[in-house]
Amino acid sequence: MAFITIAPPAQPGSLDGALAGPAGVSEPTTAPAAGRRHLRFAALRLAPSHALLIALALVSIFPIYWMFVTAFRPSSDALSTNPFPGPLSLENFQYVLKTIPIAGMLANTFGMALTLALSQLLVAILASYGFARWDFLGKKALYLLFVGSWLVPFQVTMIPNYLLVSQLGLLNTVTGVVLPQLCSAFAVMMLRQHLEAFPKDLLDASQMDGRSSWRTLWEVVVPNLRPALAALGIMLFISAWNEYLWPSLIMQKSDALIQVGIRGFLGAEGNNWGAIMAASSLACLPIFLIYIFLQRYVVDAFVRSGLK
Amino acid sequence: MRPLRSIALTIAAGTAALALAGCSGTSQASTVSNQVIPELAADQQVNITFESYNLAQAGVWTDTVKGLVADFEKAHPNIHVTAQAPQGGGAVGSNTVSSVQTQLLAGHAPDVAQLTFDSLDFAATQLGAQPISDLVGQKAVDDALGGAHPFHPNAKHLADWNGKTYGIPYVFSTPVLFYNATKLADAGVTNPDLSTWDKVEAAAKAVSAKTGKPSLDISCASIGGNWCMQGVFKSNGAQVLSDDRKTIGFGSDAAVDTVTKLAQMTKDGVLRNADSSAQSEGLMKGDTAFILTTSALQGSFMQAAAKGGWALKAAGMPSFGSKPAVPTNSGSALFVLSQDPAKQRAGWELIKFMTSDHAYEQISTKIGYLPLRTSLTQPGGSLYDWAQKNPLLAPNLAQLDRLQPWVSYPGNSYVQIDDILGKAVENVVYYGKDAKTTMADAQKRAQELIP
Repeated sequence: MAFITIAPPAQPGSLDGALAGPAGVSEPTTAPAAGRRHLRFAALRLAPSHALLIALALVSIFPIYWMFVTAFRPSSDALSTNPFPGPLSLENFQYVLKTIPIAGMLANTFGMALTLALSQLLVAILASYGFARWDFLGKKALYLLFVGSWLVPFQVTMIPNYLLVSQLGLLNTVTGVVLPQLCSAFAVMMLRQHLEAFPKDLLDASQMDGRSSWRTLWEVVVPNLRPALAALGIMLFISAWNEYLWPSLIMQKSDALIQVGIRGFLGAEGNNWGAIMAASSLACLPIFLIYIFLQRYVVDAFVRSGLK
Repeated sequence: MRPLRSIALTIAAGTAALALAGCSGTSQASTVSNQVIPELAADQQVNITFESYNLAQAGVWTDTVKGLVADFEKAHPNIHVTAQAPQGGGAVGSNTVSSVQTQLLAGHAPDVAQLTFDSLDFAATQLGAQPISDLVGQKAVDDALGGAHPFHPNAKHLADWNGKTYGIPYVFSTPVLFYNATKLADAGVTNPDLSTWDKVEAAAKAVSAKTGKPSLDISCASIGGNWCMQGVFKSNGAQVLSDDRKTIGFGSDAAVDTVTKLAQMTKDGVLRNADSSAQSEGLMKGDTAFILTTSALQGSFMQAAAKGGWALKAAGMPSFGSKPAVPTNSGSALFVLSQDPAKQRAGWELIKFMTSDHAYEQISTKIGYLPLRTSLTQPGGSLYDWAQKNPLLAPNLAQLDRLQPWVSYPGNSYVQIDDILGKAVENVVYYGKDAKTTMADAQKRAQELIP
């Protein structure tokens, strides 16, 4: 089986882009001294912007740093304002492991997020393919309905969805959390943009080779959209992982999902900050791993979606 | 653009329909006849759900309640209890009614629920709480509240409404003035008399002069602290709601005088402007020296004091001059919501168990809540030794004799009324707004929400 492939888009932050001039035009290589001067000038000119970005990055990273610092303090030091932990302690992690079934919670949450990301991706592929490939009566209205459903705040549909899940007998189940979110209008919109830009010639060529529309989708379109699909899938996974309100409505068992479980350390008789930070640190690990190993796709996902 | 317009109309119509549905509420007026529900047969199997906000908090709270439920199931093998936390993402104890409402909408409200006292009126008139004294008879209720170690007289009827018992008080706290005695001693204040606000202010001024920053926090004056702000008002002769439950009293002279007194302490640099979480952490970290707050925080303060090497002491709620201080209670009662007689009976058995001597022994020693069967702490009682080891409990127990109930506002908008009061008090006390006009405006807006 031979796939028709398209060269992937230039990677964001690639060396080529970084070395290009301000307008993206490379300097002639015949004047090395002038080139160096120009680079120095460009570096000086960019210094304030870089300083600002570094400051913003530090501000963004600080809460994460503080989470880990507090998590690794002894529980009696949880309210300390010392920016450096010491002595390091695993007391909070031990308490969290003893108090809530965090391994099971992480596994449940991972399963929920993965199911949601895959199902939303599948629906998005099929729907966007339909929108991009064919012209049919009511196509624009149907697409606008997708857009419209994305614009409706979740709080508006929350109670009707809850009633539906209740009638299906799926309260207190991970299935109940997943079911109403199997389709993401946002994912459909994102993928439709990619598919609109997909070369029609390739689709026509595939048809001339005798492929059905179904086979064209899976043998031509999807393989060529792998970078975009990977980026979108990661974004959907992160979004599902960070869900809190809907799971907390469906799951009254506080030991099922990690985001609901963390809440258990907040209380009217005082918040156990050390335990909250330790549990949150553990809850962040899967997302951190995604960032570490799939950084290029994650950045690509946020750039494509226009989100920061 | 016609499709867009039609979609917008559809969304608007749908939103309006949902909003109207929300406004219509979930009125579940009680439908109980005066007939006492039958006892369960020994082999009659009954499953009930018990919703408790303590189960939303990991650690001793969940463990203690689950342990008690397990003890109950052992004692009543024919009753199986599914214990659950309230749904939704709010803070523990803040979403008890909304959780029941949502489940009611779906047709499966919990059979027994732990609801906070501020929702008593709404629970009895709208939420479908059943009058327990009708279900099982007044004598059974009196017997349950009595026994060898009866409920404190001022705690017995906190969940009575319109002459009937709708809930059995379960756990609550009173406002206690905790202070850092070491910090006070450093400022030259030893063995302080903190019985009146003037004396508290004088002591706090001494500490503030020494530390150069405000030393006093009053959680009652912050959003979420209205349960004890009601007590502060009552201590100065003000009422948030008239005795006939028809007139809001936020704008009365006594109420205005009360918030003016607190605002003056802010102006004098004694009272700190901080949210409730920062307030308790302020005492724990040693940033402040005094806090008037729920007695339920005693355990956290004791840990912080032990760690920080300072002496924690407690005093009762301060009074205004010679007027007696009138503490109010926070906390919750247990209500029967089921309409099925067998579940109602099983629910009543559970409530009796959860408010028994055994339950308070567990709840007080493990969680630290006040035992409502106060004689357990007296000589011969099973909590006597525990009370002796916790001298900070004394002011809390002592002010039960002057306790008045946390007023629940009538109607469906009781939360909004509470919110209006909370914001008005904050605006006056912490942000320097004119007391008379702010409180009068709050009264007017709240009055419009009274049915």
